[in-house]
Amino acid sequence: MEQSLNEIREQFHRDLDAITTAESLVAIRDKYLGRKSGLIAASKKNIGKLGADERAEFGRQVNELSREVETEIERLDVEISARNEEAALLRERVDVTLPGTGASGGHLHPITLVRQRIEDIFVSMGYSVEDGPEIETPFYNFDALNIPPSHPARDSADTFYVSDTLALRTQTSNVQIHTMERQKPPLRVIAPGRVFRRDTPDPTHNPMFFQVEGLNVDRHITMADLKGTLTKFVEMMFGVNLRTRFRPSYFPFTEPSAEVDFSCYVCDGAGCRVCKGTGWIELGGSGMVHPNVLETVGIDPEEFSGFAFGLGIDRMAALMYGIDDIRLLYENDVRFLEQFA
Amino acid sequence: MKISYQWLKELVALRTTPQELAEKLTMAGLAVDSVEEHGGDFILDFDLTSNRPDALSHFGIAREAAIVCGGRLISPLVELSESSETAESAAGIQIAEPTLCPRYAARLIKGVKVGSSPKWLVDRLEAIGQRSINNIADISNYVMFEMGQPTHAFDLHTLKGRRIIVRRAQPGEILRTLDGVDRTLSPEMLVIADAERAVAVAGVMGGEETEISSATTDVLLESAYFDPDSVRHTSRELGLTTEASYRFERGADFDAAVRAADRASRLIAEIAGGVVLQGVLDEYPAPITRTPVPLREARIERLTGLKVEIERAAEILTALEFRVELLKERYELLALPPSFRIDVSREEDLVEEVARHIGYEKIALTVPEWSGTGAYLAGETIRRGLRRELLSSGFDEAISFSFAAGERDRLFRSSETDTPTITNPIDANETAMRGSLITRLLESIQGNFNKGTKDVKLFEIGRVFGRVAADGRPQERERLALIMTGMAEPGSWREKQQIDFFDLKGAVQSVMQSSNVSGFTIERASVEYLHPGQSAALIKDGRQVAMFGRLHPRIAALYKFRQAVFVAELELGELLETAGHQIRYRGLPRFPASSRDVSALVQDDVSWRDIEETISDLGFGEIESVNVFDVYAGRGIPEGSRSLAFRITYRSQDATLTDEQVNLMQEKVKEALEGRLKIQLR
Repeated sequence: MEQSLNEIREQFHRDLDAITTAESLVAIRDKYLGRKSGLIAASKKNIGKLGADERAEFGRQVNELSREVETEIERLDVEISARNEEAALLRERVDVTLPGTGASGGHLHPITLVRQRIEDIFVSMGYSVEDGPEIETPFYNFDALNIPPSHPARDSADTFYVSDTLALRTQTSNVQIHTMERQKPPLRVIAPGRVFRRDTPDPTHNPMFFQVEGLNVDRHITMADLKGTLTKFVEMMFGVNLRTRFRPSYFPFTEPSAEVDFSCYVCDGAGCRVCKGTGWIELGGSGMVHPNVLETVGIDPEEFSGFAFGLGIDRMAALMYGIDDIRLLYENDVRFLEQFA
Repeated sequence: MKISYQWLKELVALRTTPQELAEKLTMAGLAVDSVEEHGGDFILDFDLTSNRPDALSHFGIAREAAIVCGGRLISPLVELSESSETAESAAGIQIAEPTLCPRYAARLIKGVKVGSSPKWLVDRLEAIGQRSINNIADISNYVMFEMGQPTHAFDLHTLKGRRIIVRRAQPGEILRTLDGVDRTLSPEMLVIADAERAVAVAGVMGGEETEISSATTDVLLESAYFDPDSVRHTSRELGLTTEASYRFERGADFDAAVRAADRASRLIAEIAGGVVLQGVLDEYPAPITRTPVPLREARIERLTGLKVEIERAAEILTALEFRVELLKERYELLALPPSFRIDVSREEDLVEEVARHIGYEKIALTVPEWSGTGAYLAGETIRRGLRRELLSSGFDEAISFSFAAGERDRLFRSSETDTPTITNPIDANETAMRGSLITRLLESIQGNFNKGTKDVKLFEIGRVFGRVAADGRPQERERLALIMTGMAEPGSWREKQQIDFFDLKGAVQSVMQSSNVSGFTIERASVEYLHPGQSAALIKDGRQVAMFGRLHPRIAALYKFRQAVFVAELELGELLETAGHQIRYRGLPRFPASSRDVSALVQDDVSWRDIEETISDLGFGEIESVNVFDVYAGRGIPEGSRSLAFRITYRSQDATLTDEQVNLMQEKVKEALEGRLKIQLR
């Protein structure tokens, strides 16, 4: 038997309240709005029994009900989709505080970090990076550097030997000599590399360490150029507005010679733990290339002059990173290495 | 070296504070490490350079202080009264080795009373860290710390024949030195002897039998000049360094011998009583002479940038006791160095003397002009690139000592067995210059394991050494080594995979890729220290340029490793030479690709390389790639076989391939695999 439109409306609202999924919504749509078997369509069959004046009113009511059903289904459809989306997103929720995955990056050795920075600074000042043998003849390691045969540095207590005629280089100054033999001035080179001295490892010594040697030979090079160049270097390496101090010193391969200090970048010269209360930090040795050295490689010291300097990379790394036991530099303990980047 | 400020003030009229003095001397090249108060006095601790033995005394420091502070120098008193008895009649001196001992002077003092020193003398020595012994020995020391000249007092009665002979030690000659040690001497060593035996090691230490004792009444006081090299050599050989040897081996003042002998004799007579015999015994067969050193005004500026008039330079050098001849019209001077300045022999030395007294701080700061460009070491861009690459794969950079234990290092040397050996190592076990980077890296792995770190990935770039080549030098080759062990992604809460061969191979390949090296193959290899089933070599131009794989279990056992360790070592130097080949762009494909998957049961003796080659031998230009995406062995797969799944991608450059075309090629591929490799397709 046919239902009245009001009965259909009531039944529709009951059905609607009961559904939760988009699929059942489709079934409901078919149930009420289906073109042939839908309840609303079915109710239209009764239209013939009505009088002509009632027909118009009945048609209006049928349309109203159809629109109502349509709107309600639409509204619920949107609501259900939104709910579904929300639920789906909730299911995909992760604990964003868990650590990220993938291989974590490695770390450059502090020596490399400092060495690369030194190279970058000097290359930007027009220097070329040069290299030479780590096992060296006494000529290149000592004689050519004006170190006399009786000098204690040659002693087997201080220098490692692999034969009577070959030693582990005690400084990268040997590269100076090789370079000057190969090329004529003007010359601007730095030579970073491993050097060896016969020191038993302790917190401030290692039998192997890294040094960078610098050399600038040209027609009018003076100590003022040495001072200006190293001051520029200190500013680029440790910070602007730092001051340098050149103290007279002695090295066989330079004359005049100077020990270079720079004002402490931590306390600006007031005295602190880093500079051991002196306000100054030692940078390295330097001086004007000794005429005997120039003559040995066939450069006329009357025509050319030059400056040279030697800086300890390990010492600089220890200073920059506050490493109080430099033996750690060559033990390759991952807990040490992973602190650098 | 310790200097007492009060003592110093007796030798130079000073009006500066000890701290100011320390600062000024430091800036003049005599570095003061510290200034410390000491019972109303100040002790300045100097760290002097080895070229300035002249400054190793209070008077030496006073000379420089007088210039930098402007005070008057006061020489120690050396005048003395002598007895009528002559020294010559009481003892004789003979120098048998005048090159090792150019000068030997002595004074004789008779009738001394050996005893303790007066308080002022004890205090003086104690202030600079010296222990009082007896009045005679203390005076000898006092004069050394005052004037810089070491002297030595012998008990004259113990000298056989009352003679001093300066000669080389006889082979095996034994002398008990003052420290009670019997020293076996050799003919390279110079000794002071009497008529019968050695009584002192020249310039180093006296002998026990001839030392001053409470019974001593007559003293022979030695004041000599010994050859620096000879004293240094003897001191090293004997392992014996003394205040005297420290000064002689750097170079004493060859003119100070008599003055110091007089000074000490005067003090002995004053403090210990006795009379000084008439005359000084002074053997000086060939007096040492110096030549004047020229200095040009222009040279000072050329080297230092300082404008210093030659008159000003003359003033400074004169104050430093050089004998100066000013050649004013030539803007030059000639300076004869004083006998105590053994470090000055060239014009540049004089430039330094002038510059350090004008003050290095007066030198300007300039940056030299330059028109060239800077350059990194060849290959540095690539070296840095592959460092970055390894970093992103999680490797930490290691740096190890270049020497190692030979018997371990030999395990990892490829073909060569010899590397240079350190003849004077610190650690007798570590004498070999490394022939492989792996040796030290394995020790690092061991160290990390011991510290509880089980997941380690390290790389090192450094040189290894080989046998001596034709040029007389050992070969030095730059290598790169990788070492990895533990979890592939340590610390991950998700991935729980152990590092295996393919992680290592991937790292090696990424190194090659980042260095842009092409034209190499990776082959199975037999490497003694690697697991025979997991070792490979990288071949380029017919040469093995890298070897990598899992450490052989037998070697791992030597290190007591309980987990697999993977190592690779590459000839970095060789690779850098061919690295960075020119990149050529290829046009992007314009037509779509089609792919077919193959699932195959493959016997273990058929390698993936065999499959790749069989497919490529068919010569289909349309085959763009063959990629394996699954390898499985175990349950459901017969023993001795494995299941491989791979995808073949087809593409033509000229048209879209039809299904029929692709199928036809795919059939040929399958036939070849089944026919040639006996692969069972599924």
